[in-house]
Amino acid sequence: MILGNITTFSGHLHPLIVHLPIGFILLAAVFDVLSYKKKYENLKPAVSITLLIGFISALLACLFGYILSLSGDYDKAVLTHHKLSGITLAVISGVLYYISTDKAKREVRIPGKLFSVLLIGLIALMSYSGHQGASLTHGNDYLTMRTLTQQVREKPASVQSAMIFEDVVAPILQKKCAQCHQNGKLKGNFSVENLQTLLKGGKNGPAIVPGKLTESELYKRITLDPDHKDYMPADGKPPLTKTEVQIIKWWIAEAGAAEGKTMAQLKNTDSIKTQVSTYLGLNNVATSSGDDNGFTQAINPDIPLQADTLLIARLRGKGLMVRLMLKKPVMLDITLPANSGVKMPAIKNDLMSLAKNIIWLNLSGNNFTDNDLTILKSFTNLEKLRIENNPVTDGVSGNIAALKHLEAVNLNETKITDAGIVNIKKNTGIKRIYTWGRAAK
Amino acid sequence: MADFHHDEEFRLHTPEFNELNKKLDRREFLTKTSLGIGALAVGSLFGNSLFGSSPKTSAASTGDLEADILRALPHFAPKAKRVVYLFQSGGPSQFETFDYKPMLANMMGQNLPDSVRKGQRLTGMSANQSALPMVPSFCKFNQHGESRTWMSELMPFTAEVVDELCIIKSMHSEAINHDPAITFFQTGNQLPGRPSIGSWISYGLGSDNNNLPTFIVLVSKNGQKDQPLYARLWGNGFLPSKHQGVQFRAGKDPVLFLNNPDGYDGKDRKEMLEYLSKLNQMQNAAYGDPEVDARIAQYEMAYRMQTSVPEVMSTADEPNEIFEMYGPDSRDSGTYAANCLLARKLLEKDVKFVQLYHQGWDQHSGLPSGIATQCKATDQATAALIKDLKQRGLLEDTLVIWGGEFGRTVYSQGKLTANDYGRDHHPRCFTMWMAGAGVKPGITYGETDDFSYNIVKDPVHVHDFQATLLHLMGIDHERLTYKFQGRRFRLTDVEGKVVKDILT
Repeated sequence: MILGNITTFSGHLHPLIVHLPIGFILLAAVFDVLSYKKKYENLKPAVSITLLIGFISALLACLFGYILSLSGDYDKAVLTHHKLSGITLAVISGVLYYISTDKAKREVRIPGKLFSVLLIGLIALMSYSGHQGASLTHGNDYLTMRTLTQQVREKPASVQSAMIFEDVVAPILQKKCAQCHQNGKLKGNFSVENLQTLLKGGKNGPAIVPGKLTESELYKRITLDPDHKDYMPADGKPPLTKTEVQIIKWWIAEAGAAEGKTMAQLKNTDSIKTQVSTYLGLNNVATSSGDDNGFTQAINPDIPLQADTLLIARLRGKGLMVRLMLKKPVMLDITLPANSGVKMPAIKNDLMSLAKNIIWLNLSGNNFTDNDLTILKSFTNLEKLRIENNPVTDGVSGNIAALKHLEAVNLNETKITDAGIVNIKKNTGIKRIYTWGRAAK
Repeated sequence: MADFHHDEEFRLHTPEFNELNKKLDRREFLTKTSLGIGALAVGSLFGNSLFGSSPKTSAASTGDLEADILRALPHFAPKAKRVVYLFQSGGPSQFETFDYKPMLANMMGQNLPDSVRKGQRLTGMSANQSALPMVPSFCKFNQHGESRTWMSELMPFTAEVVDELCIIKSMHSEAINHDPAITFFQTGNQLPGRPSIGSWISYGLGSDNNNLPTFIVLVSKNGQKDQPLYARLWGNGFLPSKHQGVQFRAGKDPVLFLNNPDGYDGKDRKEMLEYLSKLNQMQNAAYGDPEVDARIAQYEMAYRMQTSVPEVMSTADEPNEIFEMYGPDSRDSGTYAANCLLARKLLEKDVKFVQLYHQGWDQHSGLPSGIATQCKATDQATAALIKDLKQRGLLEDTLVIWGGEFGRTVYSQGKLTANDYGRDHHPRCFTMWMAGAGVKPGITYGETDDFSYNIVKDPVHVHDFQATLLHLMGIDHERLTYKFQGRRFRLTDVEGKVVKDILT
């Protein structure tokens, strides 16, 4: 196993080392051609040593390239071309080096012009070999016009208009699988290029069997225990998220691996809509960074996605505790510590600027009056409000009743009377009203 | 020369500063020459803290990974803002408290059927018993509240607030002895060394009160100290040390070494701390050790606590009816009841995680009298805390947790007589409850069999409980991780599922 790892490791050095012979042989040719000019004549002796280094590094590149090829999983025809051209390149560069040495010049003299032509021929061979190598790594079509003309699919405007395969499943597979399973690098002889190749599968049979999860090799592999040797993506590459797995599961089992169909055209989409909209980033749920672990929260869509961080910093500077409840949208829980001595005019404007982001607000114990709290009606997304232990009266009740998202309000130890409570209860959305010790002080 | 030194703030040329000077000289050389860029690049390899750009990424070895994890928090809009965890240490018997098993009444003394035990392991304390005679609970059970929940007569006060509780009867653990079981509950691992729940929460969510620690621990003085507790149960493990739980004690020194020593009036304390802080910052500039940051922060916190702690510890403003509600013990500082009252005061100040410990629930023998004493010492104050938080509107966003580290066996350990018996440790099922923010009130979740030996419905593992707790605070338990010794750790290790059915 350790030996295996060492070969894999050194194999991965090939793409690094291979650029050395490219550079040196190119440099040798440049020196050689330039030396025809009187001004650069003194470069002539450098050609030989540059070629030698090019030759040695080409040998190393061949060695590491061979080790890399042992890992398999490459397109055989392209690999053979790359291998043969690479070895030939190394041999020819060795021969040219020999010719360029002083010792050789005494035995076999070949004309300088012929040497230059051979050297330029070597560069042509090098270009060919390099192209084959790049095809292995990036796929056969990496240098075609398609890359230029390829249409990027526009992001669907809604879940219903999203095409399940083209907009959702295919991009998932492209992102998580195509690096090893497409074009030149067909590991396991399997490609995720399109639905046909998925149905055809690889050396372990079809990757997708419409309607049959247990027979779909692809689904089996992505849901194995991550430590299992057959788990995909292999080698610690980023795994599919739970949302992505759920989508693929639904697409195979419920949608019969449909292609060219929008969500609106498919049946039984209720169970997967949330995941699809999460994947497409269409909803407002708390999934801004990665996996939601299966939780979707019902969040008031009126809450702004952004908030001014400078304002938050300023409020903190004035002694308020500003707690971030959620980042997207920005939900804030703001507390003015009791007996802070802070007066409302000092913080009013900052609070108003963040009004729609404030979800929980605690202004208890700060000697605020009805007049101070007229701003409450601006906090239209407020869900929990604490104004206990303030000398407020029924005058504030109208402002509280107007808050349509409010769930709980704490009026302990205030001067609000039963009439004020009745007024607040007109807002039936308010589920809990705390009224302990009213008018006690 | 001596006069010259007095003009300087620090005597940088004295031998004590030699090591620091060497470090600083090299740094200055690097940053002032063209190598400065290279030095910055090297610096970023060792974490941003070297250049003081971000205080949160202070652990030098982890750098960006750590910052990314913290930046993603919170993962959900939290339901709970604070937690009070009433840890009943020793393993309270479920038979005499919440898990009513009427079938057992006719089975006194009968041997535990093999079909129930299924060859499961017992502790070394009862494995050698020739018989495992089952024993019904000595307590009467009655239904209470609108939820008609069965409750033991030993907890009359808790019975009054039963409609606020979400009782989980299907808790199970992996450890069968006290220390590994408590360590497992508090840190997610049976072996010592991992951060406790409160430390994880402090690390992940930070503080809502700049003058008090985020994580405060209160240990009852009136619990029977048959099984020890260790400070590592509220330790920070590998997290930065400012996240460890701070224990508040009874008496005139609630936090050790916080008061000024005799003969010192404290007038130049602030000046001294500022000077010390500058020295520490020089040290930190040279070494970039996150523990220096922690030390600076702790000195400053301790200074603020010299005012805030006496203020919060004082119960002078509490009216009589509050003391009466929490029970007579509540006037005796350091008792469970007094700690419950203190917990309420801390929660009012937005201390994020308050953990109480009450020892003495380990009744291997003499269970009837032992558990009655335990209930008497805790029942009234526990219920009072719920009522008090509720009337103040704090139960709205405070999560209250009650529970021990495991349950007890259906069979009697040691001699079984008509009026006396004991019960051994039983990790396969036991009862806990939660109340307040984000959990459904007045429900019972999970079921055990007629012997309260195995779980028959909805098992809740310790890691599930921890995952649910973090979820209520807005944390995805799989995403709050910390890299240490080359791997990432989390509270729930590699397990844990949020118990969705108990969430509102």
